[in-house]
Amino acid sequence: MGVEVLENLKKAVIEYDGEAAASWARRAVQEKIDPVKALDTMTMAIREVGDGFGKGDLWLPDLVGAADAMSSAIPIIEEEINRVGARRESLGTVVIGTVYGDIHSIGKTMVATLLIANGFAVNDLGINVTAEGFVEGIKKHNANILAMSSLMTTTAPEQRKVIETLKEEGIRDKVKIMVGGGAITQGFADSIGADGYEPTAAGAVKLASSLIGK
Amino acid sequence: MALKGFSRKFKPLELLTEEEVEAIHRGTLEVLWKTGIRFEHERGLKILEKGGCKVDYQSSRVRFPPALVEESLRKCPSVFGVKARDPKNDLMLGGNTVYFSPFPGMKTADLDTWEPRTATRKEFYDGVKVEDGLDTVSLIQQYTPYFAFESVPPVMAMVECMAGKIRNSAKFTAEGYANDCEIFTIQMAQAVGAEMFVPCLPASPLAYYHDAIEAALRGIEAGFPIKEATGPTPGATAPATTAGAIISANAELIAPIVLLQLVKPGTRIIVSDLIFPQNMRTGAPAFGAIGSSLHTAGFDQMWRRYGVPRSNTATITSSKQIDFQGGYEKAISTLLFTLSGASLVQFHGAMYGELTHHPVQAILDDDVAGMIGRFIEGIEVNDETLAIDLIEEVGPIPGHFLNKAHTRKWWKLEQFVPKAADRLTYPEWMKSGKKSCLDYARERMEEILATHKPTSLAPSQEEDIERILEEARKYYKDKGLITEEEMATYRESMKSPDYPYG
Repeated sequence: MGVEVLENLKKAVIEYDGEAAASWARRAVQEKIDPVKALDTMTMAIREVGDGFGKGDLWLPDLVGAADAMSSAIPIIEEEINRVGARRESLGTVVIGTVYGDIHSIGKTMVATLLIANGFAVNDLGINVTAEGFVEGIKKHNANILAMSSLMTTTAPEQRKVIETLKEEGIRDKVKIMVGGGAITQGFADSIGADGYEPTAAGAVKLASSLIGK
Repeated sequence: MALKGFSRKFKPLELLTEEEVEAIHRGTLEVLWKTGIRFEHERGLKILEKGGCKVDYQSSRVRFPPALVEESLRKCPSVFGVKARDPKNDLMLGGNTVYFSPFPGMKTADLDTWEPRTATRKEFYDGVKVEDGLDTVSLIQQYTPYFAFESVPPVMAMVECMAGKIRNSAKFTAEGYANDCEIFTIQMAQAVGAEMFVPCLPASPLAYYHDAIEAALRGIEAGFPIKEATGPTPGATAPATTAGAIISANAELIAPIVLLQLVKPGTRIIVSDLIFPQNMRTGAPAFGAIGSSLHTAGFDQMWRRYGVPRSNTATITSSKQIDFQGGYEKAISTLLFTLSGASLVQFHGAMYGELTHHPVQAILDDDVAGMIGRFIEGIEVNDETLAIDLIEEVGPIPGHFLNKAHTRKWWKLEQFVPKAADRLTYPEWMKSGKKSCLDYARERMEEILATHKPTSLAPSQEEDIERILEEARKYYKDKGLITEEEMATYRESMKSPDYPYG
């Protein structure tokens, strides 16, 4: 019985069906299936989709669709993990957003969705986020990763401002900082003292893992 | 079921007004009646005279009464099917359907030095195999990919090329005529249960020699469709004006239509133009000149009026390399042809003039054909594509469409994704080793050659092809058209353990 529920949960993620994923997650909770196992099952599903993407058989809408389906099941499973007091191996806690003055959301949303699907706890602050907003977010969620996006050359300097503000607040060393977006280059990332730069959404997951040594 | 091709969902370009169309038509009728066409074919002259034409046997000149011309044009089917070796590759020509096919070159080109050289047998066979593996290639026409390959006596070139195409592709095909070679190519098509286009070409201006008419008559005797193709050079073998060149080209194409429809009413005919203004510095045709596209747009409009399917061919370039000039000259003409009403565009693989061809170019052209094909299929409008409910569901930011089932379904139907184009971002491109479309096309060629398996011939069909080849060899040897030395080289090349594939 348990095997069947987990198979269906996996199938729901692979078939991009958020409603089915949430429904099978609830069923897993009802049937007292180990919630950590349920989470692992979904991670396996997303990895399969990720492999398909890597091979060129699947595309961004598939990757984001699967990640999105998984996202709708995660809160249900997480609640159960907390209830039974199991330990969930969260890879890290991320605060992510597009910097102040910049309203481009899609790249940032893709990264956020893929991070969630790969086991990060992600707090998406949205777009047009001020330096103060990032500081507040990091403190509130006790984040260990900050991910910033800017698409326009005119808003890229805002990333430097955020890092300077973190220094002033004395929390620069609490987080690993990764930056991205169309306006950003490795050279720019180095010049503002970011810890990492990655031009692709799929690569951003690997970067986040490596930054925190996982 | 016939191959789908691309369906043009809107009215074709009309460069000529209705009055201009009628003026060109009237002019064509006048040329056919007053000037007439030189027809070097005794039997053809007799058939035309019996059918109502005025024939001067002294000068081999035929004058065509306008009423007979118009009646003959009406007898041509505006839409017709043709049979490929594999029925899934059958075609339905005419209407709003556009098919693409490769354009031949005499030789292959070296991808490092860009110098031309004669292809080997393996390169010819591989070239056909690559084109069989390209989705936008619906048929493989005459002399394609190369006019000939190494070690084959010139007189055997077309017979060997036909065998090479049949062995490596189950798509519809065509082959040229010369020295009776169509006797053997027609037999080959029949041996594998297929039809082929038998071409018929004038010598511009306004003349047909014996071989062309004989080949067409042999073609319709076999029940095959005929591809009439003309290629005068405006300023040299046709008037320098586009309107005058259309009249001259059309008069040339109409003359055999009258003959063929007298012999066999309802004969399937496709008309083709390969017209380049003359380069007035060198005397060579100006391959890639925009004048070709102007001519073809007018040509297509006239032949749409006549209800005869059109093959457009002037897609070649003056560039000797796979480069920017080649890209724009080929893409602009091909786009304009599909917009102006082509039924068939002969395109893939052509490089300089008709002199060089390369499968890597064909792979790049597969992307161009896919792009243009996607464009002419137009914009689909229905409740699902209007997506009003979806727009409501997603709403303003932070809503987005990337995670929607609608996106997953429709983006693939809406977008054309090229297979060899560089579509990377700068960082990805740097990581790739700065690859260009040419690098990707070379990789794709290797991949197709390693993985694509053309529908194979039955052992008895393979035997038939080799038997017909052997009969042709004997026929030309007996006629003294193959020298002892040529035959020795030819026979030696057949001793390869990979023969006929290498």
